[in-house]
Amino acid sequence: MGSSSSKGAAAKITAHDRAILDLKVQRDKLRQYNKRLEGVVEKELRLAKGHLAKGEKQRALLALRRKKFQESLLEKTVLQMTNLDELTMSIEQAMVEKQVFAGLAAGNQVLKELHKEMSLADVEKLMDETADSIAYQNEIDELLSTRLSVADEEDIERELDLMVEEETKALLPNTPENALPELEQQPVEEGMLSKASWVDTLCSNRET
Amino acid sequence: MSQTTSNAAQGLGQATTLASGFQFPSIHNFPPFYTLQPTASTWKNQSDLWGTVIMRYYRHHRLYQLDLDDSTTNDQLFNNQRISRALKPETIQAIVEEMVKKGDAEWDATSRKRRAIIFWRKPEDWAAMISSWVFESGLNNSILTFYEIAHGENSEDQEFYNIHPTVLQKTMDVLVKRGVATTFQGANFEEMGVKFFNAGA
Repeated sequence: MGSSSSKGAAAKITAHDRAILDLKVQRDKLRQYNKRLEGVVEKELRLAKGHLAKGEKQRALLALRRKKFQESLLEKTVLQMTNLDELTMSIEQAMVEKQVFAGLAAGNQVLKELHKEMSLADVEKLMDETADSIAYQNEIDELLSTRLSVADEEDIERELDLMVEEETKALLPNTPENALPELEQQPVEEGMLSKASWVDTLCSNRET
Repeated sequence: MSQTTSNAAQGLGQATTLASGFQFPSIHNFPPFYTLQPTASTWKNQSDLWGTVIMRYYRHHRLYQLDLDDSTTNDQLFNNQRISRALKPETIQAIVEEMVKKGDAEWDATSRKRRAIIFWRKPEDWAAMISSWVFESGLNNSILTFYEIAHGENSEDQEFYNIHPTVLQKTMDVLVKRGVATTFQGANFEEMGVKFFNAGA
């Protein structure tokens, strides 16, 4: 049966694993024993009832006594099972903790190596150099932006204005090129005010 | 399916349903079904059909082991009291032999063809089921006993609860072959244990 484990994988099984397996095997055995006891207890109870039904009080009592004893055994095995389970869990927990520790240690190691590669003096030097470079760049910027003369500035402004004007022109609709149609003279009927004079009258009335 | 058997089986109409809810196919009530047919092609059909019936019956009742003894030959599977027909032990053996050829069963090596394990589910399928259960229960990297998988509290509601030891062993072989798990013995060399790796389901 043991031959079923492949050679490469077998190496991954540690002594701890075997110890846990042994604990679990023990627990399984207790569980089986437990099942058997439960069956026996049930049987004794059935027997006791049977004896009592037949009026055999003494034998019923005996069966009950046996049942009581087996129940005490049952209780003990349950306790033992709990103990085994707790122990297994503690071991598993410890193994997890060990792994966590190993993980932390590995992380710490990497961090240390990384720190070794960049000493404080190096970093300081690098930062100084960077600051110098930035200052130098700023100087260049300043020089480049102040070099232009006033005349150049004016030229630039004018060009900008021109561009803005063209932009707005492009946005507005074209003015119509054809002439407006002549207004037709409407004959004014007598007693009727023309529209324009009527408005004039209204306005003059309001003023008075 | 041979013409004569299928037609006759259909003619029989009603199929027997057991108290367990299992329904035999109507061919189960067909008397010639219980006699080993001498014609090779008919026998092939017959043994195939019996194989299917056995697999379904075993699956329904969660049985794994077939013993060629009185309790088996008297079982309602092989002994149809309604039509007073029963399979002879030799015929059962011949049927199982055919099932073994197809990989649906396996003789127990020490039983001299008196005991067979019926694989109504392939070990590969059991393997997938068990490894996904392990993954979902977060049992990767912890040690499990074979007993725990088959009879443990954690697997009570699982399909593979009370799985036959041989089937479980076969299933574990599949998992080991795939590199999903490794099986090993404890320091006392008593029970087998298994460790699932982090490969997942």
